[in-house]
Amino acid sequence: MIEVNERIEVASTPQAVWAILSDPSAVVECVEGAVLGDKQDDGSFNAKMAVKFGPAKVSFNANVLVEYDAANLSGNVTARGKDGISGTKFKTTMHFKVEGQDVPPQTAIPIKAECELSGRLAHLIESGANLVIKRMTASFAEKLAERCGGAKAA
Amino acid sequence: MKVYERLSQAFKAEGTTNVFGMMGDGNMYWQYANSKNGIIMHEVRHEGVGLGMADGWARATRSVGVCTATCGPGTTQLATAFVTAARASSPVVAFCGEYPVSDDEYTQALDQAAFAHGCEAAFVRMGTPQDADEAVRKAFYIARTQSRPVLLSVPLDLQQKEWDDDDPYVPSTAIIPKRTVTPHQSAIEQAADMLMKAKRPVILVGRGAQWANAGDEIRKLAQRTGALIATTLQAKNWLGDDEYHIGISGTYATKTAMNLLSDSDVVVAVGASLNRYTTHEGLLYPEAKFIHIDPKAHVLLPRGKGADHYVQSDGKAGVAALEAELAKRNFKQLGYRTGEVKEKLANAWEDRHEYKIDAGTLDPRPMCLALDDLIPTNISLFAGSGCTAGFTNILFRKPRPIVMPGHFFGCIGQMMPAAVGAVIASGMKPAILMDGDASTMMHIGDFDTMVRYKVPLLIYCMNNECLGAEYYKLDAHDMAVETSCIPTADLGAVARAFGGRGALCRTLDEVKKATAEWLANPGPMLIDVRVSRSVVTLPYRRIHYGEDE
Repeated sequence: MIEVNERIEVASTPQAVWAILSDPSAVVECVEGAVLGDKQDDGSFNAKMAVKFGPAKVSFNANVLVEYDAANLSGNVTARGKDGISGTKFKTTMHFKVEGQDVPPQTAIPIKAECELSGRLAHLIESGANLVIKRMTASFAEKLAERCGGAKAA
Repeated sequence: MKVYERLSQAFKAEGTTNVFGMMGDGNMYWQYANSKNGIIMHEVRHEGVGLGMADGWARATRSVGVCTATCGPGTTQLATAFVTAARASSPVVAFCGEYPVSDDEYTQALDQAAFAHGCEAAFVRMGTPQDADEAVRKAFYIARTQSRPVLLSVPLDLQQKEWDDDDPYVPSTAIIPKRTVTPHQSAIEQAADMLMKAKRPVILVGRGAQWANAGDEIRKLAQRTGALIATTLQAKNWLGDDEYHIGISGTYATKTAMNLLSDSDVVVAVGASLNRYTTHEGLLYPEAKFIHIDPKAHVLLPRGKGADHYVQSDGKAGVAALEAELAKRNFKQLGYRTGEVKEKLANAWEDRHEYKIDAGTLDPRPMCLALDDLIPTNISLFAGSGCTAGFTNILFRKPRPIVMPGHFFGCIGQMMPAAVGAVIASGMKPAILMDGDASTMMHIGDFDTMVRYKVPLLIYCMNNECLGAEYYKLDAHDMAVETSCIPTADLGAVARAFGGRGALCRTLDEVKKATAEWLANPGPMLIDVRVSRSVVTLPYRRIHYGEDE
């Protein structure tokens, strides 16, 4: 189980950040290698996501469900996917919240996530995958900050 | 004649010339008879090392390696070496004494059938004195036809019974038919159809292709189809003089190789099991169709899959037929064999990642490159399977009489025994072994065996004073790496204490000097090379640190 406990800080208002995070297609644009697919009847989305573990690229076909709590500017993301070649599967749950701050940068987004990789490849790349996911989180923060107005993630 | 004498005659008739192992009361009479029959005994300090040597003999010669251990505690020492030999598909017969049938409460009693089963070895028991011939023949028959280790269990008291049969022993070779599996023409035509549609083919060769002596045929097919040649780990460096040879396919591939392989559209796998490491769980070849040539009826691939097209054939016959079919169709293409690809391959093995080298140690990467240049190509190479294999398996690139990597069963410490067995099998031709400190220490006692038999093997112990695989994994998890660190004594001095030669080296110049001394007069020698922990192997950079290198 890979645990992510990150706090992204962005120099934009909480409302501006929420406007992006509450739009699944905008969120996906901030995730490197991800492409959003069709919306399903249950409100979830199909998605494709390519992740490089070392030089090898794993292409996941995924299903993503985002549940928003607009009153609290927070959300839960549940995603699961499978790579057809290596049989690698992932399951992720993530909780995020948009919080205003009195001191700059204006907004913080605490993120708590758990990601489970399974399949034979997962055992081989276990420790590397941990670092890959941390780098992806950092990249997401960077892209989100850019999208919020060109500011860099703190 | 006693039964133990007949058993010895039977082993001799099966072609046994050398036996590796340790004497005990369960095999001592048989060993005595062997000595009278001209069979050479190599007495080791640990029974598992004896089996490892027989395994090395078998891998180097593709003939049955023979080892021996006494009953009970002698036999249980064989465990790891048995599984390693089984995973290596090595034909080995282990003559093991067994507790007397007349004494169920014998101190050294052991259920040796259950033990063999747990160690993935076949089991043959001589149940009565009259079964001596049949038991030996069956053991060798299984080893030869199934290419696996066999535990031949012979009760002590039955060995002492009288043998009163005058019929000559009939060896297993007399009843095993010799034939080459030739391909079906329709299977070849289908493979040719697939190859004619391919723009970027790869020929992936394994030990089976080597054993079939299919090298010339593979080169011709590669030239005709414009294919890259890649090997499995076990066929490392084979056909390495081909200018479009890209090294190992799998964990030990360079990034250039991985990038090229991921573009391939057809892979012709010859005598390769295509295991999870060779294809990196299939990810190395995301778009490719597989043509699999192998003499077995069929080979199941990882995740319960099969190749897109399977050709049951001996490697040499199958590749020759495929090449002939394409020639008949006047098919020839450049494929991967372009100047652009050649340019990429020219720099494929460069590792520009810079590390700060720990004081009193050296960078193992330039050392491996220097040794591959310095050591003549008539000297064989053995590579251990620990962390340091990540340097050896990528950076030693020259074809040599024997290039034998480890990795069967993923255990450390098994390569020194295999190397010694293979060197003895090759007629005492000099060889080097690249291994790590934990592996070297595991069987350092049998450096004594190397000395007693004057085995011309030079062991480079790439000593980072830690359990490397665990060290880097702990580091990647931000855990205390010190728990994996174990200091060692000066192993060069240990080697000298055993009566061999040894050196402790902390610089490349010291390594070169010690190597030159050995080259001038090859014999048993151990060079303790202190290497920097800071330098991470390419596979570990990917696996443990997720680096795209």
